[in-house]
Amino acid sequence: MSRLRKIFLAPSWAIMIALFLTPLGIIVVYSALTRGAYGGFAFPFTLESYARLIDPLYLTILVRSFWIAAASTAGCLLLGFPLALFISRSGSRKNLYLSLVILPFWTSFLIRTYAWMFLLRDTGLINSTLAKLGLIREPLPLLYNDGAVILGLVYSYLPFMVLPLYATLERLDKNLLEAAADLGARPWQTLVRIVIPLCAPGIRAGSILVFIPCLGAYLTPDLLGGGKSVMIGNLIQNQFTTARDWPFGSAISLALMAIVMVLMYVFVRRDKESLL
Amino acid sequence: MKRRVFLGTAAGLASCVQDRRPRLNVFNWSAYIDPQTVPNFEHEFGCRVRYGIYESNEEMLARVMSGNSGWDIVFPTDYLVKPMLANALLAEIQHAELANLGNLEPAFQKPAWDSQLQWSIPYMVTAAGIAYNRKLVPPPAAWSDLWSARLSNRITMLDDPFDVMGACLKKLGLSVNSTNPAQLRAAQHEAVMQKPLLRAYLNAEVRDQLVSGDVLAAQMWNTTAQQAMDASPEISFVFPREGYAVYPDCMVILRESRHQELAHRFLDFMLRPQVAAANALAARTTSTNAAARMLLPEGFRNNPTLYPPPEVFVRGEWADTLSPAAQRLRDRIWTEIKSA
Amino acid sequence: MKSLSLYAVFAYMFLHVPLLILAAFSFNSSRFTVWEGFSLRWYRAAFADAQLGEAAWNSLVIAVAATVVSTVIGTFCAYGLWKRSAPVLAGSLYLSLVTPEIVTGVSLLAFYQAIFRFLHLQLGMHTVILAHVAFCIAYVVIVVMARLRTVDAQLEEAALDLGANEWQAFRYVTLPAILPGVVSAALLAFTVSFDDYVITSLVAGVDSETLPMVIYAVARRGVNPMLNAISALIVFGLGALILISERLQARPAA
Repeated sequence: MSRLRKIFLAPSWAIMIALFLTPLGIIVVYSALTRGAYGGFAFPFTLESYARLIDPLYLTILVRSFWIAAASTAGCLLLGFPLALFISRSGSRKNLYLSLVILPFWTSFLIRTYAWMFLLRDTGLINSTLAKLGLIREPLPLLYNDGAVILGLVYSYLPFMVLPLYATLERLDKNLLEAAADLGARPWQTLVRIVIPLCAPGIRAGSILVFIPCLGAYLTPDLLGGGKSVMIGNLIQNQFTTARDWPFGSAISLALMAIVMVLMYVFVRRDKESLL
Repeated sequence: MKRRVFLGTAAGLASCVQDRRPRLNVFNWSAYIDPQTVPNFEHEFGCRVRYGIYESNEEMLARVMSGNSGWDIVFPTDYLVKPMLANALLAEIQHAELANLGNLEPAFQKPAWDSQLQWSIPYMVTAAGIAYNRKLVPPPAAWSDLWSARLSNRITMLDDPFDVMGACLKKLGLSVNSTNPAQLRAAQHEAVMQKPLLRAYLNAEVRDQLVSGDVLAAQMWNTTAQQAMDASPEISFVFPREGYAVYPDCMVILRESRHQELAHRFLDFMLRPQVAAANALAARTTSTNAAARMLLPEGFRNNPTLYPPPEVFVRGEWADTLSPAAQRLRDRIWTEIKSA
Repeated sequence: MKSLSLYAVFAYMFLHVPLLILAAFSFNSSRFTVWEGFSLRWYRAAFADAQLGEAAWNSLVIAVAATVVSTVIGTFCAYGLWKRSAPVLAGSLYLSLVTPEIVTGVSLLAFYQAIFRFLHLQLGMHTVILAHVAFCIAYVVIVVMARLRTVDAQLEEAALDLGANEWQAFRYVTLPAILPGVVSAALLAFTVSFDDYVITSLVAGVDSETLPMVIYAVARRGVNPMLNAISALIVFGLGALILISERLQARPAA
């Protein structure tokens, strides 16, 4: 057997080494260099970029990014859990309802973000409708704030939450629920005491699948946040473009990777088998 | 089915390869050329031109940084010429190939950033000022007017560290190119004070919001402002009293270019008075070409937004390349402003 | 259950109404958010835009190429991992999946820049396709693996006992059983590739501008009804693709 297996694994080894691990290695090397006089990088090796990271300023940005990502994850969970529960209980229509969740996900990420720009701006549909109804005189400032960013992120990543939740709810033993009901539990008691605890792996998987891309997001804060606040993603992008400080940008990238890996280790270590 | 897709792809690729004429790849700012210029050049020199557009220096620089982007000619702003040169991205310009070089304004024949025009040829000039809605009475005339509470949530600044710092420095009566840490910190303080009033930091996309009336005043480049003014009579533009930053955009040939000769032809073509005039007129921008200016219609040549009169022009200050230390401090300050 | 249904209706509206409104306004004759009348002018504008057409074509070529390559490699990989685990490979696949896009993008850019110092190559379609293959493989492996878990490993052993070689056992026993998973994986790879902006924008060259790059550039210049038209085309185009593939997959699995 092992011969065919080796042949089968070889191309993915090659791709992963050439196009993922080596590039990451280069970033590691860059992170230990200094910024060139006019951008790019220069020798000698130094750990200065990492030293610069230890700074209240970047900590604030990190905390902000965590806050935005956590709020978006919570939003996805609040919206996604009942939805997943509904789908798992809808019998023969399950597949249809599930497709309806995934369908928007197939459209471009940028278009989904743009749809909210279209709705939220001052002369957008929400404001112009409210104005026409006489409910407001001045347009509400809906765009260009943290709320808009979180909304955009929830919208973009909701399917990532619903799918794993649905997968665990689907596997839930129906007899347990019936037993709870027989023993006199009210529906919400069943939900809180039985369904949610049993769904913990799904909640963890969904949360991590939403939280990680939100943490590294940079397009949504850019387009819906109006550039008024930075998240880690913007900081990294800024180092590679405007600031032309590749070593520092690399160091921040690796710090972000490290955070992601710690999160993965803490939250989905036990469930890892379910994915790969 | 699969085979048909494959054949289709192959046929598509083949048709791309078939055209044997040499091809020049030109990467320029959006809305910065007469649509007829490229076809005319292709026709006259029997070549093809791949013309791409970008919205910011950063976007362009990120693409050409690798030194193998495939582009031949790009249009960086003056302060990027030195960094690009330091990163070995630029090819030396052969003046013998540019018969029309003498057409440039005298001020652009020996510019500070490249006194011999060894690496760059000035193309157009932009300047940052204030675009505003005429509903605003009294109209803003100075940067300091942008710190007024009446503009709360109806004002934007450019999403560009140099521009925002420039406005703050000018408000304090300082140079836009300041490298003095105390001055930069003072400017940062101004920016942070202004931030609660701001709707957002936006570049080109603010134009539509200004036209629609969502935004009443915006820090804006005069060329973008001109587009807004063309779209709506409600919009006006002013060069602030305290002074303002001027950004000459230059044509450069990348070192990686495999068509150096053709690239020089293109540069020389762009320097022709008729071509330069047509570009300025169609794109509604400010030409650096003296001979071209003579060809522009009277009304356009005296447009105060694009061609400010001498007493306004002297208030302008050319953006400079910053020292690495100053650049780093400014990057940090910008991050601090953004996370304030 | 009733309140749950109500909640679900609300959630579905949240998911679909913004896109439907976007699509509806693509038929508006005004360029502003005021309904003036039915018009196809934005579709005409979108189709007349040469840059847009080329970008759409590039996106399609890149997505098809990346999908084919990553689906083949990823399916083989999932099969190999299913036979016996390979923690380092699985770990790096997993890591590539959770790496923030911006980090993947800048590391690939740095990588290309570094190797181009030695090789006289240029950024272009090939660099974009390679980058897309790299980030699509992990998606393919996960989806195919999920399907492989439902396959009985003893079937292959039976085939081997009956004289089939390893390849035949894979080709005629396991592959047919996991084919629906492979199709889903290919579909996922296609959309992930077709949609990517962050990584592509960093590794694209002169001739490899993709649709998301054009969309981003247009969106940065403000709201433009032409974008609504493009959006509607993508939504309905991909929607049709999904429906067709669901039909194909509706056939019972072996």
